[in-house]
Amino acid sequence: MSAINELVVGETRVDKKITERRDRPWQVVVWNDPVTLMSYVVFVFRRLFGYDLTTATRLMLQVHNEGKAVVATEPRERAEVAVAQLHAHGLQATMARD
Amino acid sequence: MNLAEIIRQGELVHLKVSRGERRALLQILIRLEPLVEHSQWASPRAYQDPEYEREFQRLVGTDLADSRSADLGQVRVLLESDQRILLSADQAMAWLRALNLLRLALAERLGITTDGWEEQFTAQEHRRPPLATLHLLSWVQEELVEALSGG
Repeated sequence: MSAINELVVGETRVDKKITERRDRPWQVVVWNDPVTLMSYVVFVFRRLFGYDLTTATRLMLQVHNEGKAVVATEPRERAEVAVAQLHAHGLQATMARD
Repeated sequence: MNLAEIIRQGELVHLKVSRGERRALLQILIRLEPLVEHSQWASPRAYQDPEYEREFQRLVGTDLADSRSADLGQVRVLLESDQRILLSADQAMAWLRALNLLRLALAERLGITTDGWEEQFTAQEHRRPPLATLHLLSWVQEELVEALSGG
């Protein structure tokens, strides 16, 4: 009996943790590849995220020079949409919790 | 091959290509299209977590393949036609995405994996297919981006 109670308590605690983690925003990360044109990357960042030219160029250069850049921080569903759109444009993108 | 011009005309983008240039672009697309779905770029991951990744692929995996196919199809249909190539903004985006797919697939076939790859090849190799094909696709993509950004 006590074991079951502990298990229930344990599960509740874990569930709460999961909920809290799910509420935390996700970072959308774009990764460098050696082929995709810089001008195209800037263009896609501007089109998908509405960045001005300066911001989009800075993020593109960060991808190029450092191998990756966080291009957006969003709730999970919105981050998934952003990643799917980046994939559709041929960019390598992943998402991870902030 | 030297493409004539890619220019903005109001809301449209005009690819002014000769009959020969159009045929050459079509041949490039037909040859490279089968490589696209087998490319390492064709199945990008979103998550490190395998469970989340499975769910993501279930939701969008088919859409991504359909979108690739639709983009390449749009380009092929226009190149096969005798019509002037006048692209709306959405059509131009489909062309940009298709060109990117073709470039990625061709680069993979060429063994290009790191930045600075240009120096792996001799000047002669840069002037001949298949590397010259990659440069041609880059040129078209670059000009399209410029035409779309300029308006």
